[in-house]
Order: sequence, then structure tokens, then C-alpha cells
Amino acid sequence: MLCDTDLKRLDMVHRALEEERTVTVVDTAEAVLAADIDIVILAHPSGHTDLARQAIAQGIDVISGSDDIVEVKGLLDLDPLATELGRTIAVGAGFAPGLTCLLAAHAGVRFDQVTEIHVAKAGTGGPACARQHHGALSGTARDWRDGGWVERPGGTGRELCWFPTPIDGRDCYRAALPDSMLLVRSFPGIERVTARMAANRRDRLTMKLPMLRPPHAEGGPGGVRVEVRGTRDGAFETHVLGSMDRPGLAGGTVAAVVAVAILNDRVRRPGSGGLSELFAPLPLLHDLADRGVRAAAFEGLVA
Amino acid sequence: MINMLRRAFLAFGVAGIVASVLRLRGTGGTPPQEGGWRELSGQDLR
Repeated sequence: MLCDTDLKRLDMVHRALEEERTVTVVDTAEAVLAADIDIVILAHPSGHTDLARQAIAQGIDVISGSDDIVEVKGLLDLDPLATELGRTIAVGAGFAPGLTCLLAAHAGVRFDQVTEIHVAKAGTGGPACARQHHGALSGTARDWRDGGWVERPGGTGRELCWFPTPIDGRDCYRAALPDSMLLVRSFPGIERVTARMAANRRDRLTMKLPMLRPPHAEGGPGGVRVEVRGTRDGAFETHVLGSMDRPGLAGGTVAAVVAVAILNDRVRRPGSGGLSELFAPLPLLHDLADRGVRAAAFEGLVA
Repeated sequence: MINMLRRAFLAFGVAGIVASVLRLRGTGGTPPQEGGWRELSGQDLR
């Protein structure tokens, strides 16, 4: 069943999936609650927490692609309720967070103790994603540092991050991103978790203003980069994984493979959490690679 | 008194412009001098 407030886009997607005989077109997300479905993927801009709460109460598993820090916190707060009901809420199932959580979990396996994770992303999906990014840059970033949260202004903390080709080097800045909130839960004892997003000078100059022009329908190629540091056999090591794709396409693919994993009972536990918490990363990375979303490792000297 | 206020505003203005330029220009580090990306496959995904 497809739901979208944009009827033109809904019609386009419906026609693209014409072989799927089970597709039904409806115009409001509330219809989800009246439908006979097992799982729902929430990919709309806001209102995920309320809809998720109602969905799990009706026995529907939820996948949220939100990267809004307030939405993600609200969804994670539903963990006790979802656990009690035996339902799953996969939070941040997109390109970043989502694929980044899987990459962090996969990279973390090689360490005896993971001490730091630093996530960076470049690019946006559709218009709602671009608006969210614009708002995130002027919001408040939450970094995990030495067992506690540290709040810092978005748009600060410039760091040159090297993404897979053709994205390559981009200056990245702190922003109101939920990646740290999701990753801290999966890595007990971790010392530092940060998240940054790429921005150019125009983005930074106008970050406090409303968007000056409407965002593109599709943001073009983007990338994610996950730098994991830790100890192995008593020595400090750094492992960097990344991926390059169109963020909207990759995010949709991540949500789809997570849906299949939930339906096939490949969830570690019921409840609400990020992908690194709820799923074994390797099977999902295999599923994603089969669908064209491939990860890469940086080999060389990390600056 | 007026002159002092003028000078103070001018100083704050110049400082603000310089800070904005410094904040917007520059780069966040140096690119890696060696190495590159390799697609994960085979042994990496076991």
C-alpha cells in the first residue's frame, strides 16, 4: 500500500510498481492504521512518533527513515512500549542514519573495544530531505563525549572528510543529526561519537535563513563515511568505511531490506532502536550489495 | 563621546566582517596523501 500527500508523485510510483498487485493508493497516512498490513515504512517529513505509537498498538511493525533528532528521540522513547507489545520500530532506516549504523556495526566487529565513531554524510535526497539538512545545519549538534552528551552549535567544527569517489573531499560541520543517539546504544563504553554533514560556503552563510530557493527534486550523488577507532590486541586502530550513492535511492533500499529482515524474523529483539542495535549488520550489507548499494573501505593513511 | 561610540561601532563592524571572512574561508584539513577506497567484497563481508 502506498501513501503520499503528493498525488502526482503517488501516481508515478504506483505506475512504476504496476506489477505489484497488492498496491493500493490512499491519500492519508492515517489510512495505514485502518489497513490490514504487517509493516509500515514511514518516509514522510514529520509525525513519525505519533504514527509509530498507534501502529505498534495495532500490531504493525514500523520502519522510520527520519533523520530529525526530535523524531528519533521520540521513536527511541517508545522502546519500552514496543518491547512490551513485541513489535519492532527500526529507527533511522535510511542512508544516514541507517547505512551508517550498519557500517559502524560492521567495522566495530574487528575491535576488542570501540572507543570512537565519527560519522559524516554529504548530499541530500528529495526536497523534504534538503529542508531537513538546511534546518539541521543551524540546529544544535549532540556529541557523545566521555559518557555524556555535549551540545554544540551546528555549522561549527569544520573537518575535511574524504568520501568515496566521486564525492571525494568535502568540508563537514556539526549539525542536529541523530546518528550519535542511535550509535551510543549499540556500543557500551564508547568514549566519543560525533556526526557531521557536508556544507559549502553558501549553505553556511544562509543556514540561519529560510531556504532561498526551492530544493531540487533529487539531490544528486551523495556519500557517507564512518570512521571507527578502537583497540585490538592492545593497539589502537582506525577503520574507515563508506558508501556513495544517490541518498534517496540508497535510503529507500535500506528501508526495503530492513522490511524484509523484519518479515523474515531477523531482528535481534523486539523494541525500538537503530539498525546497529536491532540487526546483525552483515546479512543486511549483503542484501544491500545485491541491490546495488555497495560499501567501500578506505585503505591508506587516515589524516 | 559621539566619536568614541562611532569608533566602537566601526571596530565591532570591522571585527565582524573579518570574523565572517575567516569563518567562511579556509578548509577543514588536508586530504589523505596516500591510499584510496576499495569496494568491500568476499572476505570483507564474512
